[in-house]
Amino acid sequence: MALQGVEQTILRDPALFYWILIPITVVMILTGMLRHYATVLMNTPPKPAATLAESRERLTLLRAVNLRNHASAVLSKESFEMRKNYLVTGFQNGAFLKDPNGRGQPPANPMTDPAAMEGMMGMMKGNMMMMIPQTLIMSWINAFFSGFVILKLPFPLTIRFKSMLQSGVMTRDLDVRWVSSLSWYFLNLFGLQGVFGFILGSDNAANHMAQQMGPMNPAAGANPFQPGQDPHKMYLNEAENLEVFEHFCILDGIEERVLRKYVAGEA
Amino acid sequence: MAASIRRTGVSQGSNLKTSFHRSQQAPVILRQQSSGGLLARLHLSFQGGSDDFDALEKLFFSCIQSTDDESALLCLERLTQRFGSSNERVMALRGLYDEATAENQASLELSLKRYDEILSQDPVNLPIIKRRIALLRSLSKTSDAISSLVQLLDATPTDVEAWCELAELYQSQGMYPQATFSLEEALLIVPHAWNVHARLGEILYTHTRSLEGEAMHKQLQLSIRHFCRSVELCDDYLRGFYGLALATSPSLINGTLELKHLGSPVGKDTLGSLHALARRRLEQILSTENSKEPHAREYDENELSAVKKLLSEL
Repeated sequence: MALQGVEQTILRDPALFYWILIPITVVMILTGMLRHYATVLMNTPPKPAATLAESRERLTLLRAVNLRNHASAVLSKESFEMRKNYLVTGFQNGAFLKDPNGRGQPPANPMTDPAAMEGMMGMMKGNMMMMIPQTLIMSWINAFFSGFVILKLPFPLTIRFKSMLQSGVMTRDLDVRWVSSLSWYFLNLFGLQGVFGFILGSDNAANHMAQQMGPMNPAAGANPFQPGQDPHKMYLNEAENLEVFEHFCILDGIEERVLRKYVAGEA
Repeated sequence: MAASIRRTGVSQGSNLKTSFHRSQQAPVILRQQSSGGLLARLHLSFQGGSDDFDALEKLFFSCIQSTDDESALLCLERLTQRFGSSNERVMALRGLYDEATAENQASLELSLKRYDEILSQDPVNLPIIKRRIALLRSLSKTSDAISSLVQLLDATPTDVEAWCELAELYQSQGMYPQATFSLEEALLIVPHAWNVHARLGEILYTHTRSLEGEAMHKQLQLSIRHFCRSVELCDDYLRGFYGLALATSPSLINGTLELKHLGSPVGKDTLGSLHALARRRLEQILSTENSKEPHAREYDENELSAVKKLLSEL
């Protein structure tokens, strides 16, 4: 064990600072930016609905969700019942489906559906963009800088931090405040978000352009169905939700509420 | 900021005075963008230039409204340069420009034909569908506009703008129940929009005039409730209080009215005090607005004079 109360001193070559600490940081920042722009380049926006029927299939589900969430704030009992009946019957007999005859059949295999395939490719691309640079840099650091102690934190820490700050350095007695090069890499990996935010504008600054000249109505592009999901099943689910929904109306007693609000304000 | 939001009613067109003012700055804004040095351009591209094109689009609308067609064309060209002429939104802007600069009925018909052509190739070009509906409306083919709007809404039932437009069209045809339904649909998507609540109240109120007996009472009460909701959501909302004062006016309430159709009955006393409250508030708004300089006022001249007229008549 390290001696209590006695400051551990390690004589470090100042060159360590210039040739390890700074390069790692710079490389991390640069790869972060590179990754950001690469993601922007490879990112394909979600495909908008190709036909009006498809758009209806997607958005009617959102409409039902809206009805469920906001009915209490707007509708009286009768208007709610009317809408509920319309949507529930439509959901149950498949009137909103893109292809009403196709209901009940097992969903197409996502591997054969090009649209679903594209979505999965997008996800994979995103993951790859994360994983490949990380693996490369980590192996680079492991190969060149493993085992260096490069930095001493100016504040004391508990022993729990040892595994976080000194990975790659197997020394039991070393004070927790010393940071190894591999740990410095990890700290950078998770701690540079703020720096990227500063350099790249904001986190999604890159995605703004796609949003801006996207479709007029942003909700129109959203697809509530995951690839491979059966819309009819989602519909039946939503119909059930609507059936059990208990309607109340916040417009009941609003007259008194408004009076109370304003009279209290005047007094 | 709050003032400008408050002013924007659904039925109200955008304020001509401000759009004129904005479009007068068009040459300045346009020049600024073209003479920017490399550094400024780098900076813009670094930031994604995000608000830049948004502002350009708004400027385009302002220029069109104030018949500054040259600046509008410049804006349009710049947007086309950036996003390409096949972008849906740019296509719609181009169509809007053509419509605005059309000289006679025939060229408007031509625009309509062009829209139909575009839609036959790409039936889900939403901006163009909307332009087509707007054009049908301005050609006063209201029933066509309504039917295409209904078709559009069948495919995109979560579009607030379209629902409001449909309500407007139905109202212009005197089809109040349909208008009510459309506005309710819009409210289901944006339940806290106080201007839409007030608008719904207005439509319900107008509808009561053509009804009798129990149905009328029911409508009237619903209308009062929506007006109440709008002033509950937005303090001192002029339109809401105006409608409230109108809908609770003693001549209506003291008729044969027994308001107990919707769940909880509401006494005449409550309605009376609501009326008094609305009057008090309207007078208060009027006096504070009158004490302000004309350019600092939150409301238009004609809105204020309408309030004055209402107060003297009730």
